[in-house]
Amino acid sequence: MRNMLRSMMAGAAVLLLLGSAQAADGVDAIKQRGTLNVGVKADYKPFGYRDPTGNVVGIEPDLAADIAKRLGVKLELVPVGASNRIEFLQQGKVDLLIATMSDRPERRRVVQVIEPLYYSDYVNILLNKKAGIKDWADLKGKPVCATSGAWYNKDVAKSYGPEIVAFDGSEKPLFAMKQGNCIGYVYDQTFLQGKLLEDEWKTDYDLPLKGVLPSPWMIAVALENASLQKLLEDTTKDWMKTGFIVAAEKKWGITPTEYSLSMHEQYKDK
Amino acid sequence: MKTTGSGNRLAVLVPYRPAPARMPVRIGPLSAAILCFCAVMAASTAWAEAGPTMLSPLQIIVKWSPLLLRGFVFNIAISLLAMLLGTVAGLGLGLALLSESRLLAAVSWLVTQFFRNAPWLVLLFFVMFLVPFQVTLFKTTIPLPDWIKATVGFALPVMANVAEVVRGAVRSIPATQWEAAESLSFTRRQTMWLIMLPQCIKRMLPPWMNIYALVAMSTVLASIVGVSEMLTLTAQVHAAEGGRPELFAPLYGFALLCFFLYCYPINLWTARLERRFRVR
Repeated sequence: MRNMLRSMMAGAAVLLLLGSAQAADGVDAIKQRGTLNVGVKADYKPFGYRDPTGNVVGIEPDLAADIAKRLGVKLELVPVGASNRIEFLQQGKVDLLIATMSDRPERRRVVQVIEPLYYSDYVNILLNKKAGIKDWADLKGKPVCATSGAWYNKDVAKSYGPEIVAFDGSEKPLFAMKQGNCIGYVYDQTFLQGKLLEDEWKTDYDLPLKGVLPSPWMIAVALENASLQKLLEDTTKDWMKTGFIVAAEKKWGITPTEYSLSMHEQYKDK
Repeated sequence: MKTTGSGNRLAVLVPYRPAPARMPVRIGPLSAAILCFCAVMAASTAWAEAGPTMLSPLQIIVKWSPLLLRGFVFNIAISLLAMLLGTVAGLGLGLALLSESRLLAAVSWLVTQFFRNAPWLVLLFFVMFLVPFQVTLFKTTIPLPDWIKATVGFALPVMANVAEVVRGAVRSIPATQWEAAESLSFTRRQTMWLIMLPQCIKRMLPPWMNIYALVAMSTVLASIVGVSEMLTLTAQVHAAEGGRPELFAPLYGFALLCFFLYCYPINLWTARLERRFRVR
């Protein structure tokens, strides 16, 4: 009985050791396994969403596919959400995250960020084409819909002086704008660009202004995974050099952001 | 004596049978389907205001139905597997509840009560986050995908509920049967397996099917922990179609319809078995 207990405990210890060893090793483990597991969004058009056959497609799956190609392994996309993505990375269930994740100091403490940052979101305003707004300053005193609780509402109000009308979520402000309660909707530029892919919105609305208040996104790997980190840093620089991200934006139908254009410009000749 | 012709039967010998109780309102499966379909259609009338270039909600459902139905099959697979695991474990636990050993009975009582009274979602979270995504046994790595973990998560409450069903059914058999078996020198185990449990199957079947219908409907909880089942896919499809608010009702209505069409016949069948097996 005692022997059995002891061997069971030893077994458990070995299991734990093996488990932790697996999480730490990098590129070699991926090559050995033959698949690269990447956490992506499946509900954020056009960055990661389902097509009718069930595959996850979009800009970020394209980036993931490019990494897998460089490694010479198969790609496995794991749909993640904001609530579970960091856990999946820490558990080792995914090797890296390309999942519309904003760069925040508290995230940098728990995961390894890949620099340079691959993408950046902005704050922008979806406007009716008839509104005739040419500049952010033109918004002064005009009613503008927004999502309550968004961190930038106050900044926008202070800098440009529109009258913010806040609603819950993203559907209600869009509806209110359609009803004519406000002239535009201030929100994440990436989301608004996704809206403009729909016939419903692209006929009457557009994003005529330049995005403000950039909020960069990060690709993340587990802490102390130096080999994968190095590979991804080189890959990101190469994307910027070749304009791969700008091309992906165009492929998926959105106007290239100022961030990707300027990074391409900066790395082009290196 | 033949019982086919009612005319030549002696009234004295015919046992009294009350007319089978019927549900006051019964919806046949077909009319239920039509009802649901109408509800979905009514919910999608908002589309009429939108432009003519867009696909109608019905076209969108047709376009995505292969994917959504694949998700639904996944839900059914999870529910069947959870039921299988839970029934096997629950039978063991139920017998342990009836054990003559005080300790075993007490421990199994505690286990049963714990899993019966814990919210299903909480159990699901525990299993999802405490069990690793793969285990390495003797140098072979066995992956534990999310849906397997979810299945185990659902099997736990099933186990406890089945255990109670087993205990209740065995207890409901008259004690004289135990005494009769004992007098025929059956051991306790023989009595249980050869005499009690065969009699119990009929009584256990309707509540067991009830539990199954509940499990089948609860599998959508797995969407909260990120399993790609029907509800998760429905949300993703909604996003892929641009998150238009007027699609909300038709898409989720479709999920509702699938579950209803699956669970309602089970409930009808359960009710019929209950009537058939009613102890008089």
